[in-house]
Amino acid sequence: MAYTFRGGIHVNEYKLSSESPIELLPDPSEVRISMNQHIGTPAVVCVNAGDKVEIGRVIGDVPKEALGCPVHASVSGTVKAIESSLVSAGVTETYVVIESDGEGRLCDSVKPYGGSILDADAEKIAGVVRSAGITGMGGAAFPTYAKILSAAGKAELLIVNCAECEPFITSDHRVLLEKSAAVIGGVKTLMKAVGSPRAYVAIEDNKPHAIKKMTEVLENDSMIDVKIMKTKYPQGDERQLIFALTGRELAAGKLPVDAGCVIFNAATCAAVYEAFLDGTPLVRRVVTVSGDCVKEPKNLSVPIGTPASALAEYCGGFVKDPAKIVFGGPMMGLAQWDADAPVKKNTSSILFLSNEFLGKPSSSQTCIRCGRCVANCPMRLMPAYIAQSVMRDDIKGAERYGAMSCVECGCCSYNCPGKVEIVQYIRTAKNRIRSEAARSRSSANDK
Amino acid sequence: MKKDSNKISTSDGGMSAEAELLQVSSSPHMKARASTRSIMIDVIIALLPAYIWGICVFGNRALLIGAVSVISCAAFEGITQFILRRPVTISDFSACVTGLLLAMNLPVTVPLWIPVVGAFFAIVVVKQLFGGIGKNIVNPALAARVFLFSWASDMTGFVKAGDRVNSLAVNSGADVTASATPLASLNSGALPSETISDMFVGNISGSIGEVSAILLLAGGIYLLFRKTITWHIPVSFIGTVAVITYLFPKAGDSFDFMLYEIFAGGLMLGAIFMATDYATSPLTSAGRVIYGVGCGVITVSIRYFGGYAEGVSFAVLIMNLLTWYLDNLGMPKRFGETVKKKKES
Repeated sequence: MAYTFRGGIHVNEYKLSSESPIELLPDPSEVRISMNQHIGTPAVVCVNAGDKVEIGRVIGDVPKEALGCPVHASVSGTVKAIESSLVSAGVTETYVVIESDGEGRLCDSVKPYGGSILDADAEKIAGVVRSAGITGMGGAAFPTYAKILSAAGKAELLIVNCAECEPFITSDHRVLLEKSAAVIGGVKTLMKAVGSPRAYVAIEDNKPHAIKKMTEVLENDSMIDVKIMKTKYPQGDERQLIFALTGRELAAGKLPVDAGCVIFNAATCAAVYEAFLDGTPLVRRVVTVSGDCVKEPKNLSVPIGTPASALAEYCGGFVKDPAKIVFGGPMMGLAQWDADAPVKKNTSSILFLSNEFLGKPSSSQTCIRCGRCVANCPMRLMPAYIAQSVMRDDIKGAERYGAMSCVECGCCSYNCPGKVEIVQYIRTAKNRIRSEAARSRSSANDK
Repeated sequence: MKKDSNKISTSDGGMSAEAELLQVSSSPHMKARASTRSIMIDVIIALLPAYIWGICVFGNRALLIGAVSVISCAAFEGITQFILRRPVTISDFSACVTGLLLAMNLPVTVPLWIPVVGAFFAIVVVKQLFGGIGKNIVNPALAARVFLFSWASDMTGFVKAGDRVNSLAVNSGADVTASATPLASLNSGALPSETISDMFVGNISGSIGEVSAILLLAGGIYLLFRKTITWHIPVSFIGTVAVITYLFPKAGDSFDFMLYEIFAGGLMLGAIFMATDYATSPLTSAGRVIYGVGCGVITVSIRYFGGYAEGVSFAVLIMNLLTWYLDNLGMPKRFGETVKKKKES
């Protein structure tokens, strides 16, 4: 019996690239590496234009006490420019542009972890993970070292999130198949770090090969179990994952560690292992290149900072003109306005979607009150009522119907027959609630 | 966007000649295919068997009334939206559903102006003046039916099933049987002369689309299967009527009386197709159950104590008005909240 949760939706999976092995993308001629690669304080550039850099050289750093981790050069070559530009997420990001010399030289600082992991404590492991610049690679990009430190001694269960419930994405699937030893090594290191005696590798049942492979690898392991999850969106949401595996419900605002759990993405685990094995920081990741416009959907191991267009080119270009480029999955991913938008540490996939796939945007967005959004909401909110409150400018109402608890999974908008962009309304509500709270705080301070 | 950024994405844009711009919008970037229109088509499909049965037993005039009603509803929708400068949305078929439901709620002998007046009241007054689809507070077809009760003698000209009325004139001229519907005899405290199987199949007098319980149930099962409606409202509505009539029968054997009550009048049509109208019913599960129970209690109360034979229309209209409160009452406990409260107590 597969584990599952209540609510959610079944979506067409479009796992076009699941049979395609990971291919190594040659270093592109130029990479643009963002300093906003993680939640927390953006990294500060510590190289200058004209500097020679090698793979693994720190090019952006974060003060020790701040939340965040360093950013490394992903190719060897010359720093061409340091520039900033507005991205479609609505913030201005600073980029280090490196012109590759194609030599792929490694930085001297890249060397294997000297001691034995068995002697390392949470602090030490977190230190290595931090200096390797590892963040959550599933999407949120929370610095992994901070997660280790906050969970150390408190998490009785470590969950490896391999649900990969978003359509199209197959990067974790391929990592599980082709880098299973690295994933397991990373899991063991992280278990040691947080002191959890058990770990579950949670895989959706639409990936039987990955389940078989991991079950084989873990046959004689008494501490790590493979757990088969029912394929349903959003199974990879950490709240639904914890609920499905432990029956514990985590209210909005609570962290997994409050339920005794800590969750890492499969690719993150592999990155942790590599940071210990040969000291490689997070400079490459596996990205699924897919969508109905791409000629040959593939899984590519690419240097951080590679422009999306270079990935598409490697996959044979386009069979249809893309109308939308999405970083991440089609349900929660971020649409980009720049075809050269660079890969980041949390870019699990890049999708090139055509107008035919996207469908015509509806001219009238009218709620017919069918109730599908309420029935599907995994957080059990009232999406239709939140949207309605926002339309009426009733922000208090939006809060009462649960806007702040929304995880933006998109089940409501996906199934809305009236084609109301419910998630967008909820995001508006969240912004308004936050800014109003900030305003009332500042006016209270003035008094 | 960078100037040369779209070299490889030779988008034809579609919006303007120079546009090679990529679309940027809020996630999600994929949508299910179901639309308002596909839902309305499903409802029409589910209604058709019972309506076709009505045509078979009540004659071709039933078809004419349906056509007049549907065409009037669509026309009034288009005209009102045009006058009010709203986008014209006849193609979502919601007006057709209203028209079909209205026709199915009329006796076959009504003069042809009745469905036209009803369509005007349903679409213009109840639906469009309240803001259009999804915003009306009471069910348009039912409100129109109750409005049409102003012409009481026209609205109660029921004929026996099988007495086909084929006149296509404005006034049917049919020799209306004075005999009461099964519901009327139930209310007077006697089991009707029809057998229960006649009631179930639809060999009884009544409005065009309400007589065949089995075909209405089949339509309901189709809608459940298509996930167009949920079980909450029909089951709680019909269940409440069943429980009360079983416990307090007015005549004969409890079980027989209960069966007659649930197959009589507009209960099946009302509970499956009218009370479940999205716009005017709650969208939370708990709200839907309370709403269904409320409909059931009011229906039986009117049937038992009211001066009017049928209670379903009034019951649904009254509960329509409570929808907003029931949704707030039935708001689900948020994920994680139940657990938190247990811990605190």
